[in-house]
Amino acid sequence: MSAAEDRSENIRLLRDSAAAIIPADYRRIRALRFTDPGFDRAVWQEMCDMGWAAVRVPEAQGGSGLGVAEYCALAEALGRGLVPEPFIGAVTAASVLSGAALAEAISGASVILPAWQERANTIDCAGDTTVSGGRANGRKMFIAQAGGADAFVVSGRDGVALVARDAAGVSLSIERTQDGGSFGTLTLDNAACTPLAGDMAAALEEASLATGAYLLGVMDRVFSMTLDYMRTRQQFGRAIGSFQALQHRAADLKIQVALTRASVEAAAVTLDTSQHPAVRQAAVSRAKARAAEAAMLVTRQCIQLHGGIGYTDEADAGLFLRKAMVLSSLHGGAALHRARYAAVAPDDDE
Amino acid sequence: MTDYNAMDDDAFRLMVRSWVVAHYPEDLRNPPKRLHWRDNKVWYHKLAEKGWLCPGWPAAHGGMGLDAGKQIVFMEECERHGVARTNDHGIIMVGPLLIQYGTEAQRAEFLPKILSGDHVWCQGYSEPNAGSDLASLRTAAVSDGDDWVVNGQKIWTTLANDANWIFLLVRTDPAAKKQEGISFLLVPMDSPGITVRPIVNIDLHDEFCEVFFDAVRVPKRWTVGAVNQGWTMAKNLLGFERIYLGSPKLSGYALSRLKLLAERMGVWDDAAFRDRYTGLSMEMADLKALHATFVDIVRRGLPLGPDVSMLKVIQTELFQKITDAMMDIAGENAGLLEPIEGNRNLHPAGQFIQARPSTIYGGSNEIQRNILARNVLALPA
Repeated sequence: MSAAEDRSENIRLLRDSAAAIIPADYRRIRALRFTDPGFDRAVWQEMCDMGWAAVRVPEAQGGSGLGVAEYCALAEALGRGLVPEPFIGAVTAASVLSGAALAEAISGASVILPAWQERANTIDCAGDTTVSGGRANGRKMFIAQAGGADAFVVSGRDGVALVARDAAGVSLSIERTQDGGSFGTLTLDNAACTPLAGDMAAALEEASLATGAYLLGVMDRVFSMTLDYMRTRQQFGRAIGSFQALQHRAADLKIQVALTRASVEAAAVTLDTSQHPAVRQAAVSRAKARAAEAAMLVTRQCIQLHGGIGYTDEADAGLFLRKAMVLSSLHGGAALHRARYAAVAPDDDE
Repeated sequence: MTDYNAMDDDAFRLMVRSWVVAHYPEDLRNPPKRLHWRDNKVWYHKLAEKGWLCPGWPAAHGGMGLDAGKQIVFMEECERHGVARTNDHGIIMVGPLLIQYGTEAQRAEFLPKILSGDHVWCQGYSEPNAGSDLASLRTAAVSDGDDWVVNGQKIWTTLANDANWIFLLVRTDPAAKKQEGISFLLVPMDSPGITVRPIVNIDLHDEFCEVFFDAVRVPKRWTVGAVNQGWTMAKNLLGFERIYLGSPKLSGYALSRLKLLAERMGVWDDAAFRDRYTGLSMEMADLKALHATFVDIVRRGLPLGPDVSMLKVIQTELFQKITDAMMDIAGENAGLLEPIEGNRNLHPAGQFIQARPSTIYGGSNEIQRNILARNVLALPA
């Protein structure tokens, strides 16, 4: 087999193993909603046992040494299952960790999540937090599933550091999110921290794309569920999917899903092959802008196409809408990524 | 009795405003969800005592008898103060139905009870297999002496868990063409054989219910209009409902919240946002103008045409576009379950979720477009 064939075989195997741990129904997802910490540590352990937390960690450091394409394939599979375990956060943190903390993180012994954001609407980890001299001071927001973390990788204007959840001077407040998960706000008041050497910005670039890939899984799955509904729901003596107006709408949604897939997969290849910062950023922003907008459009329309039942909590379509509501803006919404694309992308006529 | 229509618009507006501000319960302003009767009833009774419960009903039946312009002023002032929608099916549906089609005895029996708040109504139209295709409804009423015996199930019955009466579409002639065997019944919710099951919505609220009918006996004197002629009345009533669902009120409230959110998120002066906001605001003004022309038809006692479907489409889709804009500027706050920093005026996700069913209920927008294509534009089926 060629290298490219090896690669796609890798991705196929990853998708299969992901599918194996994701149940066909959403009972587990429903049961975890609005609980603390909103995910199941035992399931996270299974995911770690399969090496997923280490997907981007080089083999020399005990990781799987896989590429961004594999990372995104996994994120997409988890998106199809609405899996709430903190996969993208943990992979982001692992990219910055080393040594014993890294080993704990990828084995599942510790849940370590990134705390990088100091305001809404940003993908920049720069801020006012300081982490030098073994002490962390500052405030970090929008930390997904923070309630289940044992430690945080905190970005500061003077470096990156590891802060234990139970260290003195650390406080964490939790707000519920629409998908049944949570955002944490972390306040650091002279908390003990250990300096790290990793590059948070590079890890966040990948996290933006992986979030787009997760959204791709979300929209692809709810779209296929909706097509099934359109094939079976009868009104006016025929399946509603036989009405041309609805067929055209479904075709338009298919186009958005296909554009998102093309954009996300192309961006993954770019991150795996290009070292040029502007090229990488443009690819990620294009993919996340598309995924954010398409995920909202597709999930909204899937509610509409389900009709009244789509507005009930017992219908699964709503779970997908509410996941899209949370993730479309996390790691940058469409407007933010369009603005960055405009700033970094090469001119069209070049 | 005051002739409100003779008043100068500004004077009328100030009168409504000062009374609403003085009497509306402060803690019920701008609720994020549809309120239940336990919260609504205080205000309902205050309006009733004042004689202001039914602005659109003729004065002879206990309404305010307002003309279109005054009704809009009244609505604008309620909206301005963040007055919640009450349990209003009696006011906007049953009252107009009985005024138009009811017998003198039915009007005497039911209208005063709506005005007093003794009867709280809900609407039994949709069924699990008769949503968009409403005329295929199967809940059956079989004649038995002086009664109908009703069996079947209704769904999406708004606030049925609050109501003590339901107005019901039932099939009384199973052999007839589907639109021609339907009748209109008024039924007390405490009738033996009625069960109500609330449905948990996507916003985790129980605004809608299922209502089950198991051999429910309904006296025939509570049939409205002629037997098997219910569909025509229901369609006309849907016209009234579409005027209500097409009211600029929801969008007006959402638009004012979009502005507050834009200020909070620091994008109010952003050129791209302002262009979008201005476009929404202009559409809102156009909707108000179009809405007023339909309200005026009702005031003059003329029948509403199928073109009233336009109002429902424009209003609900404008509402959704406004909440889409909220989601787009809110950043990560767009994912929060509760309002931003506890300020219920800043709740993009809540407004977005609340806007979802508006294009589905009251005849989905797909059905409204079918009506426009077939019955207004006369395009072939």
